[in-house]
Amino acid sequence: MDPAARRLTLPARVESVAAFREFVRSGAVAAEVPAGDLETLDLVLEEILMNIARYAYVADSGGATDLSGLAEVAFAPDGPGKLYVEIADWGNAFNPLDVEPPDFSRGLAERPIGGLGVFLVRSLVSDIAYRREADRNIMSFGFPAAGFPAPGGFSEPGA
Amino acid sequence: MTIETEEFDKAVLLKVSGRMDAENSHEFEEACEQWISRGAKHLIADLDGLQYVSSMGLRSFLSVAQKLQSSSGSLILCGLHGLPRQVFELTRLIGLFPVFDTAQQAIATL
Repeated sequence: MDPAARRLTLPARVESVAAFREFVRSGAVAAEVPAGDLETLDLVLEEILMNIARYAYVADSGGATDLSGLAEVAFAPDGPGKLYVEIADWGNAFNPLDVEPPDFSRGLAERPIGGLGVFLVRSLVSDIAYRREADRNIMSFGFPAAGFPAPGGFSEPGA
Repeated sequence: MTIETEEFDKAVLLKVSGRMDAENSHEFEEACEQWISRGAKHLIADLDGLQYVSSMGLRSFLSVAQKLQSSSGSLILCGLHGLPRQVFELTRLIGLFPVFDTAQQAIATL
């Protein structure tokens, strides 16, 4: 695996978002991601992790969420001011990139309240990709968005 | 996130500061709903002190605005800048709200 990659695995719950955020933020600061972009990175992480917390471990029958489900965030620097990030879960197969963009033609009364998170993520990162690998959903992206080179991906821990 | 409110003749001003995220956006929605239930028609959200808003926060703004519109009221935004402005622009929500630079300008239109 990439020797510079760092990983954090926590319960896939809203309460974990702050710890994940601090974890990646420390890496972003070390990689000299511009300070003005750090809040945007927070936003991207929150959107992806909240989707995992709300949907990844919901039973197929639509029942209760499995609260023992985990999320994992990994990152590695990729050149000055740039970070490569992977976010994984072991929940239901779901490719966020299949989500249709919001219908911007609708007025206030008809505008759907959901569906904005994935759209924001796609707008704010580069080279976003999804893969299903060994029962895991893995989202990867580069940050910040502008001029980020195509990432090569991490190998598995212990591989 | 902190919310300070001030009542005017025709509107209630809510000054929202800090970070509005998945954990606390319901507080903004609840604060607005309390004023709506007391008969407020127009709410002005002064976002000059808001540093961060995620899609959960956007949902709250949209939900409150839809409720107010259905009773011929409005949710007016002012002081939008930085990441919150970028998020409202990217999602094209900005065109669905009356938007002013300052609360004083918003109040003067009512």
